Amino acid sequence: VLPPEKPLQAEEWNKLREDFQLPEIFEEVMLNSMIRCNSPVDVAKSLLTHLAKRNGDVAYNVLVKYLTLCVQQGQVSEIRDVYDIMKVRFKILESGAYNLLVKGLSNSDQWRMALTLLEEIKKIMIPSRTCYESCIKAASRHQEMKLAFELYNEMMAKGVVPTLDVLQSFFSFSRGMNDAELQKELFGILLYLRENQIYPHKTFMRSIKLWFESIPGENWRGRLTKIKDSGQCPVCNHQLEDSNLTEEEYSNLSERIIRDVIHGTDTFRKTSPKEFEAFQTFVESRLPFDIVIDGLNVSHIKSRKMQCENLFDAVNCLAKENVRLLVLGRKHMLMNSSNWKREIMKEMQNKADFFFAENISEDDAFLLYATLRSGKHCKFVTRDFLRDHKACLSDSVTRHLFRKWQRGHQIAKNKWFSSVFSQQPAFRYDCVVQTTGDTWHVPYKDVFEEKYSYQIPRKWLCIQQK
Amino acid sequence: MQSANMLLRKIVRSSVLPFTAQHGMKKDLFPLSRTLSLSLCLKQDKSCEPSEKLDLDEWKKVMKSGLQEEVSEKVSEPKELSSLAAARQTLEMWRLAGRAVPEKISEAQLKTFMECPSKSAKKKYLKYLHLKELYKKNDKRKMDEKRERRLEAQDEASKTDETKKSSFVCLWTSTMDKAYNWRAAQSMIFGQPLVFDMSYEKEMSVREVTNTVRQLVMSESCNRRSVDPFHIHFCNFKDDSLYQREFIKHYREAWDKLLITVTDQCYTEIFPKDKLIYLTADSPKVMKTFDHDKIYIVGSMVDKSIKTGVSLARAKRLGLETAALPLEKYLLWSTGAKNLTLDQMMHILLTLKDTADWKKALEFVPKRKYCGFVNKPVKDLKKTLDLINTLKLGKAREEVEKKFAKNYPKK
Repeated sequence: VLPPEKPLQAEEWNKLREDFQLPEIFEEVMLNSMIRCNSPVDVAKSLLTHLAKRNGDVAYNVLVKYLTLCVQQGQVSEIRDVYDIMKVRFKILESGAYNLLVKGLSNSDQWRMALTLLEEIKKIMIPSRTCYESCIKAASRHQEMKLAFELYNEMMAKGVVPTLDVLQSFFSFSRGMNDAELQKELFGILLYLRENQIYPHKTFMRSIKLWFESIPGENWRGRLTKIKDSGQCPVCNHQLEDSNLTEEEYSNLSERIIRDVIHGTDTFRKTSPKEFEAFQTFVESRLPFDIVIDGLNVSHIKSRKMQCENLFDAVNCLAKENVRLLVLGRKHMLMNSSNWKREIMKEMQNKADFFFAENISEDDAFLLYATLRSGKHCKFVTRDFLRDHKACLSDSVTRHLFRKWQRGHQIAKNKWFSSVFSQQPAFRYDCVVQTTGDTWHVPYKDVFEEKYSYQIPRKWLCIQQK
Repeated sequence: MQSANMLLRKIVRSSVLPFTAQHGMKKDLFPLSRTLSLSLCLKQDKSCEPSEKLDLDEWKKVMKSGLQEEVSEKVSEPKELSSLAAARQTLEMWRLAGRAVPEKISEAQLKTFMECPSKSAKKKYLKYLHLKELYKKNDKRKMDEKRERRLEAQDEASKTDETKKSSFVCLWTSTMDKAYNWRAAQSMIFGQPLVFDMSYEKEMSVREVTNTVRQLVMSESCNRRSVDPFHIHFCNFKDDSLYQREFIKHYREAWDKLLITVTDQCYTEIFPKDKLIYLTADSPKVMKTFDHDKIYIVGSMVDKSIKTGVSLARAKRLGLETAALPLEKYLLWSTGAKNLTLDQMMHILLTLKDTADWKKALEFVPKRKYCGFVNKPVKDLKKTLDLINTLKLGKAREEVEKKFAKNYPKK
């Protein structure tokens, strides 16, 4: 249904309603389409008047829909009226109406009322993040940065995750202020980005850049750049943080891999205690390896070729002077079959160490264990993104560690020569917001939408104090 | 004139309207006001907008004025709400806002609702309650309708008043029950054992346990009704477990009279290990035939979050043989997980036991999960698909030829 262009009389509404297929939901459908078409408020008002006359009452959901329309068009006095009516009518409201009210009021000159409303919500429930977002934005728009940060810290304490928009608004509205306290808070946000491996998008990055450059008397200068493969910033020649984990992180990660990925709730799900023990003694006796290969994964690289030939190519390609290889496979590879020729397997076993797991065991878990156990220099080869193993880790800190480690240690297949492996893993430097005090390096995304969790941005903002 | 008109309008709006709206007198009153305003418009200006004669904020007055008494009542109420009452009110507001929320909610349910760890969990729980309520209402409506129909039928029957003659006394259900129980009792002595492994309680949520028990009740009833029932064993069954409480909810007093074996022992303690076969969808081995000398174990678990390898791990730990149904071999699988419900498993196993016919047995796999039966092994599947494709193409070609023939008829 298309909403009418002008306010209608009661009869006209009645007629429309009777013509509608399902008269019971006519008002809802009509208001929805008004919201969609952004009809004038007067039209909606005439519908409400008609409703009020007919039923002596306007239902809550209809009121909320009307409120949506008012918020959409910024009709502040209407929003206030609706709020007054709702307050008299109902003891409390639900989150949808509160969100709308806060949003509507915070965008007006009566934004302080949104704050009182927020206090009211807090008595009943934890306010949604959109509520906080509206209030924080309103406060920072009116240069009340202190208030904005109070709200921000409050929402963080309640475990409400802020949107990127909120974070950005802090930077855009703090421009040109020389306030040590404020500066500290903003650095805190940058560190929040760092800790959670959040990458700002282009406009957010620009707000950060402009804020730095606007601090009076500090002479910051920001430039966009791409970091060299070596990890050096071409603008300031500064070496970015290493992608290697610290000793503590390293031992932490390998412990968690053993506990959560290999054992999990039941060691028998992925392997068996006996097999894992055998594997552990095997690995310990031959440590350290330089490269660990997921045999089955690599053997499927070229579908036309025999599987053992694929693996053979990979082993040949990676085997160099004094490089210790470990290939993980399953027992069925040892059976002479059309895909696994015994002679080729024999030849490979001269060049690399092999461990064959049971056919129903998960070899990926062994891959992770062997690589981590061999030490920081050890890398692994598989096309698998290892998402299911990452998911086994129970907290986000360890998952971030896992991704960081994976970026630094997984050897990828070379794009152009499908069976040649680029010996260098993707990144030597760590892709997070980082600082040395007089420089800041911020990776950013070109577009707003999320990237795949294994992909990281290549573009950087380099900020330097002259 | 104008001032009189205004006055009239005011009266209509402010005092009379709520009253009229409630008592349906507006029909008599409004035409009057409209004609008045219309005439006013005509007098003043001909290009008057139709909206002017509408008081657009009238609804606000209605909303506010109709409430005076209620408001005064509310003031006397205590302001602070207990958390339960607050939750109840929030729910009420959600219901008004048109969300999927049940109309009635018990104290216990409200507490469960408040204990939900996240917003989405709360939402899901409410939706579940809402749907449950809907189903209940529908059932009740149908029951009522049925009763009415029955009463009508009885009335008619009493009018005709004819006694039917039959050699049997009409005692169908109890006789059937006796026969079934006799068979079940026999199976407890001579029947092939079928084990349900009841050790998954920790792996499941409360709702999953509820579902498991419902499926088990269904399995038990279909076993009892079969020609040659299994001797059902519930192994690893702990007293006072969630399983037991749910079973008692379903069976009430009948729980103690069921003709099945319930034990807290493990199946490995009761039966020789080499006779046991654990049925699990994760097993690498595929079942070829149904063996009447083996004892099959089914894990009593509903895993909505597909916990791969849980039951396989259990079998591995105990060193038991495992097997999976040959679903791939006989069915062209389309969607859905390969794990079947317990009652489906029961149907399949019973059919296998009686007929050894895989096709007949796998009829009990839900139709949505597969496209059809394969007669050939999976390796030939591709060939079959190719054949289907060529047939399709062939048909297309035929059609083209037909069209061609139509357009260019032979002389």
